[in-house]
Order: sequence, then C-alpha cells, then structure tokens
Amino acid sequence: MSSVKFGNVEFASPILVASGTYGYGHETASMVDVNKIGGIVTKSVTRHPREGNPPPRIAETASGMLNSIGLANVGVDEYCKTKLPYLNEIDTKIIINIAGTAIEDYVETLQILEAAGGNHVGYEINISCPNVKEGGMSFGVSAQMTESLTTELRKCTSKLLVMKLSPNVTSIEDIAQGAENGGADAVSAINTLVGMGIDINTRKVKIHTTFGGLSGPAIKPVALANVHKIFKVVNIPIIGLGGISSTEDVIEFVLAGADLVQIGTLNYREPGIAIRLADELDQYCQNNKLTSIHDLKGLVEYH
Amino acid sequence: MILNELAIVKSTERIAFNTFQTFLNSPQISASIKSGQFINILPTDNWDKMMRRPMSVASQGGGMISIIYKVVGEGTEFMKNWSEGEIVDLIGPLGNYWKGYTQKFSILIGGGVGIAPILNLYYELEISGADNALIMGARNSADHFMEHQPQNRIYMTTDDGSLGIHGNVLDPLKTILENRDIGNVKIFACGPPAMMEAVRQFSISKGIECDLALETLMACGFGICQGCTVAFEKKKTTTEHSYRNRFGLVCMDGPIFESKEIKTCHL
Repeated sequence: MSSVKFGNVEFASPILVASGTYGYGHETASMVDVNKIGGIVTKSVTRHPREGNPPPRIAETASGMLNSIGLANVGVDEYCKTKLPYLNEIDTKIIINIAGTAIEDYVETLQILEAAGGNHVGYEINISCPNVKEGGMSFGVSAQMTESLTTELRKCTSKLLVMKLSPNVTSIEDIAQGAENGGADAVSAINTLVGMGIDINTRKVKIHTTFGGLSGPAIKPVALANVHKIFKVVNIPIIGLGGISSTEDVIEFVLAGADLVQIGTLNYREPGIAIRLADELDQYCQNNKLTSIHDLKGLVEYH
Repeated sequence: MILNELAIVKSTERIAFNTFQTFLNSPQISASIKSGQFINILPTDNWDKMMRRPMSVASQGGGMISIIYKVVGEGTEFMKNWSEGEIVDLIGPLGNYWKGYTQKFSILIGGGVGIAPILNLYYELEISGADNALIMGARNSADHFMEHQPQNRIYMTTDDGSLGIHGNVLDPLKTILENRDIGNVKIFACGPPAMMEAVRQFSISKGIECDLALETLMACGFGICQGCTVAFEKKKTTTEHSYRNRFGLVCMDGPIFESKEIKTCHL
C-alpha cells in the first residue's frame, strides 16, 4: 500500500473522503468496506444541531454540481452519542470536520469532542463560515481571522489540526500562511467555489439560497492551481481536493504539492471510488518503481 | 440493506410515446426491494454527470426488476439504448415503501414518470385481491399504454380527451368517491408535481388519507448529500434525527410521505 505518514499519523492510503460527501461513515457500510478507505472526514459538525437550508439545495451542472445544504447536521452532543461509537469501531483514520459562527463555537465544539475521547486522529476546520461577530464575513477570507482561530484551536488539541481553505479569496497563499502561523498541522484545499444556476422556464434560481458551492471535476483545474500556490509558500503538509475523479487526478495533485488527497462529489456516484483509486495508485507506484506516491510530492516541472 | 449490484439488461420495450420499460436481472435487489422503493442508476460507466438517476421500480420478483421511464435527457437516452446483456451499476433498495393498502379501499393515481411505483402497487393489490381503483393521467392517448376500463375501475384521463375521461385525475377521483365512506378510502399517488399537489390539496380538503411518492434531484440517494429535501408542514419533534425536524430527506424519510405531513409537492 502506498501509505503516507502525516504528522504522527500513518494513513494506509493517501486517498481520503471529503467532508459532507461521506456522512458519518456508516451510511455506505453495506456497499463498501469502509476499513479500506485511507481516511474519512466526517460531515461538518456544529455546536448545536442545524436544520440546514430549505429546498432546493442541489443542482446538476456541467461536470459538477451546486449545493447549498446549510450545514445540516446532528450537532456535537448527538455526534458524540450516536456517531462517534461507530467511528471508533472502524479501522480507518477519522478526521472530524468542525464548523462554527464564532471562535468560541469552534473551540467549544472541539473541546467537547476532545473530552469524548474518540479514536479520531484529528480535526478539519471549515472556515468558509460567516463570523457573526465580524459582520458575517467568512473566517476563511481573512488571514488574520484564520490565524486567530487556528491559534485558539491549537491550544485545545494535540491531534491533527487541518484548516480547510476556501478558494473564494483574493490570495489563498496569505490564508494558508495564516493557518501555518497559527500552528496548523496542515491545510486542505479547496472548499467549493461560489456558483449559481437559473431555470430559464421559471426564471428562478436553481438553489434556494441563490448562490451555492460548485464542486466536481469542473473545479479540478482551479483546485490544482490553488494547491500549487499554497505549496509555494508553506512548509506544512497539504491535503488536495476538488473534483478528483481518477488516479491521474490524484497524481496531478501530488505533483502540484499535495501530501494527501480527498475525494468529494464523486463519492455520491461511486461510494467505493476511494478504494478503487487507491488500488490503481498502488499499481501505478509498482509500475513506476516508486515506494510511495509521496515520492512525487511537488515534483511538477515547468516550461 | 442497501446494495451496490451490477445488474444485467434483459430487455427494453417501448410501451407508450417516448416511454420505455426495461427489465434487469438484479437478483439481490429483486429479492429485497418492496413496492414503492427505488434504485439509483448509473446510466453508463463513462457518465460525465455527477448524479445517478433515481427511479422507482415497476415490478420485482424472480430475480428481475423493471423500471419505466420517459426519455427526457441524456441519462434516459443512454438507458433506452442499453443492449441485452449490458451490465448496469445499481444502488438499492432505497427509501420507504407503500404501506396500509390492504385495510381500506385503495385509489391509485399515477401520471407521467410516476406510473412505475403506482403500477407496482396495483400489481400487489391485484395479487392480494384487495379492492381498488386505478387512475392514470396523461396529456393525450399516445402517453397511455393501458385501456380505459371503467367497468374494472381502471380510468384513463387525457388533457385533450383523446382517450378515456377528458380532464385530469381529480375528475374520476371525485366520481369514485361519490357515495363512498371517505374514512374507508386511502389514496396513493405518484406523478408530476402539479398533479401531486392537486391531489395533496384535494385529499386534505376532504380529509382523505393520502400517501404521495415524491420525486426530486438526488446526488446520492442514501442520506449523505442531504440534497433531496422536502419541507414538513409542521416542525416535527419525534424524528429519529434531531436535525431533520423541519426538512425531511426524500431518499431516507421518503420517497413516500403523508399528504398532510409536507408543505408542498413542488420541490
């Protein structure tokens, strides 16, 4: 297996499944051997349960989809009670994605999860959320807010702390450096791009909240560019994601500078894709006499 | 238990205008799927779309399932052209299923692409011998594949009067309900949103028990994407999931909902 060591954690495969695209891990268990997935990043959990946005929440686009779910989730208390026990039992690396609307929200949620004592290896922090105390501006658009949030969370855990970056910013490099300065173990990039669709018959927007997050193969080149920009300016590991649908895509992300990758939207169509691609990646490593895909990190060449 | 099964295409037959029925050899799903449930279909391995196509099954048994669909886009175009022996990736059985159809007089209403789960229930009722009536609505006779047989309580309606009753599905429904104890009637419906909403409002206004099988866009079909929501009429307090009290998932909490439970059929 082309395992990757990441901080103190060894991932059996460099291919994880992205937050929001694999629920809480148990939903696909009758179809897929989830123990074979490199890691599962669970759906964003918040301090309190959230009902999410009214329908319609999704729309199909060219090689992608729009979504505006509104962080519908069980809330951290129920997460600890009903989701963690299953996650503790399965033999894959669990990273818990956390969302919030104030630094205190994130801190409290993370502390509750720490106290629950699960086997999870780390946290991924969704910073594409509005900071209600800063006029609703997203944490992820400010290097300073990202750094402050990272600093506060770093104090609360020695597990992996991964900041998930938004591409909807002027300079993703600045934000990545903010996360690094705050003590993050890694960054993951990218979250979805802001998008919109209109039904020309009804003249209505296709998503209730007008704007949604665009994901899927359509955004892969954007994701790749952002991963490479981040790679140029930080020394911490990078988890690359955005529209990955093939082994070639995974290798591209590694060449651009990623240490690990996540599969997102494609999980909906093929729940076992992370395992299939990991097997194909092993074959690629064997064929190319690589001990691990990680040997290719950042080795992209320029004209 | 949700399965990911590779099914084998057996046959495809054109049953009405632009409407096809495909039989698939899918032994595992066929053995466990119930009337009203659906499967999520990957029309082709080289599919550049992100979403499978969810479809209710029209029949199950003997290792086979069948689906009925109108060719409306790229996915159904692929499906129509499936050849015999072709392998198709299915996920299922998904969702809840029809219940409470043997206790009362069942009135089944189907229209458009919603005929599959209604036909499925009709077969169940015919097998069990339970008393029922079947109403199928369409724009014109070319969309229909059954005969108008009021003597057997099978009613076809058309918008243009080219077959059966000139009107919509509510017309025969009202006739059937005349001189009937509405407390002993249950309506089961599946069809286009406008038809479903009309049936929903009618059933509520008359106080008739009514179950509706909803259809909407789904990214996964098994509760992960949280995309296929329907708004509940009243916030629930007793659902299994604390965060699904205002909005239900059509894939997991449905596709079948009670008419008074939801706000609208326009999703």
